[in-house]
Amino acid sequence: MAINVKVMKRPEPETTSYLRAALSGMALTFKHMVNPKKVTQQYPEEQTDLHPRWRGTHVMETHADGRPKCVACGLCPTVCPANCIRLVGGEDDQGNRYPIVYEIDEFRCIFCGMCQEVCPVEAIHVGRHFENAEYTRDRFVYDLDRLMEQEHPSTLLWDPSDPAGE
Amino acid sequence: MAEMVTLTIDGKEVSVRKGTTILEAAKQVGEEVPHYCYHPGLSSPAMCRMCLVEVEGAPKPMPGCVTTVAEGQVVNTQSGEARHHRQGVLEFYLVNHPLDCPICDMSGECYLQDYVHAEGRKHGRGREPKRVFGRDDFGGDVLFYGDRCVMCTRCVRFMSEVEQDHRLTVVERGNRSVIDTFFDEGLDGTHFHGNVVDICPVGALVSKDFLHKARAWDLTHTPSICTSCSQGCNIDHHTRDNLVQRLKPRENLDVNGWWICDYGRHNYEWMNHGDRLEAPLVRGGEPSGAMGWGDALRTLLERAADKKGSVKAVASPFASNESLGALKRLVDALGGGDIVYRSPRAEDEVTLEGFPTLVRRKDLSPNTGGAGRLGMKRVGDDEGHGGLENVANHDGVLIVLGDGLLDQAEAFGADAGLFVYLGTHGSAAAAEADIVLPITSHAEMEGTFTNYEGRVQRFWPSLDAPGMARPAWLVLGALAAELGRGSVVKTAAEAFAALAAEAPAFSGMTYDDIGTRGAVVNESVSLTGD
Repeated sequence: MAINVKVMKRPEPETTSYLRAALSGMALTFKHMVNPKKVTQQYPEEQTDLHPRWRGTHVMETHADGRPKCVACGLCPTVCPANCIRLVGGEDDQGNRYPIVYEIDEFRCIFCGMCQEVCPVEAIHVGRHFENAEYTRDRFVYDLDRLMEQEHPSTLLWDPSDPAGE
Repeated sequence: MAEMVTLTIDGKEVSVRKGTTILEAAKQVGEEVPHYCYHPGLSSPAMCRMCLVEVEGAPKPMPGCVTTVAEGQVVNTQSGEARHHRQGVLEFYLVNHPLDCPICDMSGECYLQDYVHAEGRKHGRGREPKRVFGRDDFGGDVLFYGDRCVMCTRCVRFMSEVEQDHRLTVVERGNRSVIDTFFDEGLDGTHFHGNVVDICPVGALVSKDFLHKARAWDLTHTPSICTSCSQGCNIDHHTRDNLVQRLKPRENLDVNGWWICDYGRHNYEWMNHGDRLEAPLVRGGEPSGAMGWGDALRTLLERAADKKGSVKAVASPFASNESLGALKRLVDALGGGDIVYRSPRAEDEVTLEGFPTLVRRKDLSPNTGGAGRLGMKRVGDDEGHGGLENVANHDGVLIVLGDGLLDQAEAFGADAGLFVYLGTHGSAAAAEADIVLPITSHAEMEGTFTNYEGRVQRFWPSLDAPGMARPAWLVLGALAAELGRGSVVKTAAEAFAALAAEAPAFSGMTYDDIGTRGAVVNESVSLTGD
């Protein structure tokens, strides 16, 4: 069976003006210029409000005197599915158990938030934060001092007025 | 034949000896009745009230640890009634318990945690403030957290009944009662006080050495044998990150009961030492340098080929029976010769008065029993030094297995035709060694030790061997097989079978027979002296 090829009739360049098409396109552009419904966000000058349950890089809460709240119980390295937390416990000069070494490898972290969920003293939190650029890879292993310095708000894993989710 | 009593526990019929307690009978049908104050090695005061069980016909719940079984008795350990009573008891325990599990070293192996989780109330009802004692240093290796204590008095009874040195007591009454030491005496100077930490069912007594070191659930438990003397106490190595974190006793009523001495308990750091020999090293001639096992052993055999006829060997009583047996085979294959060993010796024995089988022996090596039964001779003084004058200047083949030669001069073995040094660590006295072979410590291999009374006991590897280090029986067995003595052994069980085939003391024994409890060698007379 022979294949039928339909030859489309094309406008001839010599006899056709593109002015009408150009004007209709520009009309749309100018319509958007004056349209009050904006979709483009002027990041980084404008920051979006992150969702309260956004899970980003970690924050270690501190006591009023600057000590970390962590008591080195070892539950977060135990529960961590990515094995990204390294903890060595010890005793400080006041006889309190505290973390001598507490490191989180943020590259390895999968931001599941289970460390925050399991923490019995509400010390370690995942945070509402996503701007983590660094010049070197090793800067992504956050040590205890770095975790305590973090200033971004921590995540709410559940609604405080309805903790059981009912 | 003891009189037997048949009773029903949780619907299962069981026959036990007359006089058995309900708690022990329940163990036989696989039911664990919760308990704190009861310990099989101590008396039963029935004061914790945790082992309450329902006995049909009895007017009230009965404590399982002191109630003896009776014919036709029907016991329910898990019925609603029994659980209801135990739940009430647990609630009282939590009235003053601080619930500081996150910072408690016992967390994860705590019986209060376990029982409350299994049988306790979901939510506490206490509103009153808890009484606070704080922390007390009991001396020795023991710290006391009074708030966590459940007043089971196991520790008090251990010190008075087993150690028989009354160092601990209960002071005050009612909810102010607390365990304390007498004045400032503490537990210093006692030799078995580490066991009170083991028997404490909660985190009230904790080890200073282990304080905050590791969480219970991170530790891998491997059955092993204590190497601190020739008693051969059964222990568990608790390891994490390829390091031994602590040693705990393992029950064996024929050797150490439930206990070990403090000296053995804390003598584990050496198993974690770095700076190990990691590759075979060949010196002098060609080839030389660090090389693989095949090249090193071939070089060894080539250099030994023209030196048959005069061999001297220094063994170590820290080497396993299998390794010593393989050394003997190799020495025989090279033409035969004397094998000597050196062993440190303490001045006094320390006996656990309440369990006199357990003695910290004078002989401070784990396997002098094996070395002696293989015809090796002890030389040197009580420090484990000296005695190698004949060996140091030997001009034939010289083999050193496991002995660190720490007291020997650098010229040790300078005259030897071939000096082979097998060790875990390098040694200044091995400077003249022609061939240095890295071997594993007992913590990194499977094997057996023979204790003071000739009991052969197995141990299992708890650590990974560093680098290319291999068990000595594997290395020596391969060399002996190459020289026509026996076949190549590939497992520790085969190595032991090869030993059993040659040494009369071990004949007929197998790894399966020895199991985890040990088995006594064929003759009962010790060849190692006192």
